[in-house]
Amino acid sequence: MKKLLLAGAALLALANASVARDIAVAQSSDLRSANPGVNRDGNTDGVILHIVEGLVGYNNSGEVKPLLAKSVDMSADGLTYTFKLRADVKFHNGKPLTADDVVWNWTRYLKPDTKWTCLSDFAKGGAAAVTDVKATDASTVTITLEKPSAVFLGLMSRPECGYTGMISPESIAADGSFLKPIGTGPFMWDEWKKGEYIHLKKFADYASPANDGKPDGMVGSKRPLADGIKFMVIPDPSTIKAGLESGVLDTAEVSPDLIPEIKANPKMQLIVARNNGKNLFYIQTRDKVLSNPHIRRAMAMALDLDELVAAASNGTGEANGSMVSQDSVYFDETQKKRLPYDIEAAKKELAAGGYKGEPISIIANKRGNVPSFPAAVMAQAMMQQAGLNIQIEVLDYATQVDRRRSGNYQVISQSVAPRLDPALMYSFYVGDKDKNASLMWDDPKAVELMKAAYVEADQSKRQKLFDEFHELMLKEMPGIFLYDMVDVWGATKTLKGQPVWQSNARLWEVSVD
Amino acid sequence: MVSEEKAGANRGDKMLRFILSRLLMALPTIALVSVTVFALIRFIPGDPAALMLGDMAQPDQIAAMRTELGLDQSLPQQFVIWAGNVLQGDFGRSIVNGEAVLPLVASRFLVSAEIVVVAVLLASLIAVPAGVIAAWRQNSFTDLALVGTATVLLSIPTFWLGLLLLLFFGLSLGWLPVLGYVSIGDNLAGGLLYLVLPVMTLVIHEMGVLIRMARASTLEVLRLDYITHARAKGLSESAVLWRHTFKNAFGPTWTMIGLILGNLLGGIAVIETVFTIPGLGRLMVDSIFARDYPVIQGCLLFVSLSYVVVNLVIDLLYPLFDPRVVAE
Repeated sequence: MKKLLLAGAALLALANASVARDIAVAQSSDLRSANPGVNRDGNTDGVILHIVEGLVGYNNSGEVKPLLAKSVDMSADGLTYTFKLRADVKFHNGKPLTADDVVWNWTRYLKPDTKWTCLSDFAKGGAAAVTDVKATDASTVTITLEKPSAVFLGLMSRPECGYTGMISPESIAADGSFLKPIGTGPFMWDEWKKGEYIHLKKFADYASPANDGKPDGMVGSKRPLADGIKFMVIPDPSTIKAGLESGVLDTAEVSPDLIPEIKANPKMQLIVARNNGKNLFYIQTRDKVLSNPHIRRAMAMALDLDELVAAASNGTGEANGSMVSQDSVYFDETQKKRLPYDIEAAKKELAAGGYKGEPISIIANKRGNVPSFPAAVMAQAMMQQAGLNIQIEVLDYATQVDRRRSGNYQVISQSVAPRLDPALMYSFYVGDKDKNASLMWDDPKAVELMKAAYVEADQSKRQKLFDEFHELMLKEMPGIFLYDMVDVWGATKTLKGQPVWQSNARLWEVSVD
Repeated sequence: MVSEEKAGANRGDKMLRFILSRLLMALPTIALVSVTVFALIRFIPGDPAALMLGDMAQPDQIAAMRTELGLDQSLPQQFVIWAGNVLQGDFGRSIVNGEAVLPLVASRFLVSAEIVVVAVLLASLIAVPAGVIAAWRQNSFTDLALVGTATVLLSIPTFWLGLLLLLFFGLSLGWLPVLGYVSIGDNLAGGLLYLVLPVMTLVIHEMGVLIRMARASTLEVLRLDYITHARAKGLSESAVLWRHTFKNAFGPTWTMIGLILGNLLGGIAVIETVFTIPGLGRLMVDSIFARDYPVIQGCLLFVSLSYVVVNLVIDLLYPLFDPRVVAE
């Protein structure tokens, strides 16, 4: 029997020999589609990130920098953007990227038939409505907007938009159907075994932007150091752990509970990276009880935020009461302000708000590695000390989304995916609740500040807008921001480089020995 | 000669009528399953359009997507459209990735089936003789050991057992792959290796039920007069056991094998999740989380159909062990 199994192990080794230098990474669900920015979710964005590139991209601190463009210039009236293309960029089919390709891509994205996720942002009436895209010469493209927009480049760079990635027209069949993404990224599409894995091959002719071999968000150096990437669909955390320990997986997101175990394992390394996502208590400001700012402020002041965050994040997170991420260029001293942890003051706020022990329900879920449930449990205990009657309702994620969308909730312990520009982050929470019941806060001043941040391009003026917004938020407390999301990943010791950025695998400038 | 042919033709007619009647009897079951599944999944909160479009979607985009998916129509309307399409062989397309449901479900079913069929076969080959021996040696140490083992095996949750096997054979010994899947069609040797652990998990778990069932039905037969008579005739114990006891005792176990097979064909999501096997169970669970209505409906309809077919085959093979069934 043993001989038979050893023979099996040898066979297995042979079977794996051909893919020995690929990086194997786990993801919790399969790809939705290979069509950038069309049918997508977070895992899909992570795969597409390696295949396509946009004209611009975010760097580590949330600024938008040129990527396929070598320069971007905005006209004085803020309406026209001129993109000069890099001369060294090739598609995976070997053809060079031209200005005509950019025009073809934008035309395709703006066609309703393409079903681009971000169409509403760039179509007429959107936050960055595009009125014209044209090639002024073989390597220059101008894009004209309906009105000035400070978030035009930021929106283009979003994962949800497929990074507005440039693909070769050969990606599309003659009948208009999508074949495969022929992009310009460091890795190229190879194989998709549905429900099992997605395999990308190294793009040998990739011309990386220069940055001394250092990656920087979506820009910086992007050399493909591995032969390929195998994104393996593994929904079970215990199996992921076994995969990392056995070396079948090179890296994967892991449950924060595993941190001590990974640290103690000599064959593994722990990777902890903060991202711009948010963990918060999303409050229904039209609820009978919670419409009173005194009660919302009391809830915030009842929380020992540092303790809560330390426990909910297994020591990896740092309290941040602002909508602006700590890694943003806009995170200044004002953004660091938060309401003090003060039980007596919380009790006074409750008295001022006329609170009489009405039950307040926090909706939580136990999905994946988000801290929704532990944060709710700790908040319940802390808020009860101030006299708040907190109950927890555990729902599956789909039901939670439904409740938020319909406005049928009091408090939701929620995690929100990274948005690198603060104005884009605000748009998740702020706006007209009559038109969109899922929004959290419809204070007219807050809406005005958000809209101004969408238009204002000057960094120092935007800073003032964000600071004013934060001060207003502390007064009104429409939601309690806990901490920026943290990616906790495990990897084998043989992996070199930083394999995660903003919740997605980012496997350029990453190698395995 | 002619009468023999006639008798054969009669038997053939009878068999055909039996099969047709069983299939007709299954129709109400399948119809009931369809209606129930269709309604229940829609009563669970959660909007597939909102889940599909993600956080960025505005209410008007979600409404447009609901219209595109036909979710804005009344439930009866949606059901009539879906049922009409199913009758024409069109099970619809996945809301999540646009794939045609029938080929998707069929391909995933085959993956589950190759594990389940092998596992049930192996479990039966081990457990049935073990149960018969336990009954034959009733109240002996062998009986106690076998019944005790069966009870323990029955009590172990499959996900835990699967993980233990994975850690032991995959991690500690390194003999078997820890995760991944290779289709037997693509690579026979590699594919078999990936099947060892999930099959082993199922075999160990299902053996418990089968040992107990085989033991109980054998004990019942062993108590009958004709067994005493057979022994009194001076037949050897093995002849008594296998020729007279086993054939009569195997019926209930055979039925149980059919039920287990039918049950597992649609229900090894846990095993598939632990061992990263892209089978039908995992597809179903993923679809429920994503509220992918067409896929959920397709999966459950397929499972109910396979249940009916498996039990029909079990019934058709029953006369091999108990000829009285044909006479009846």
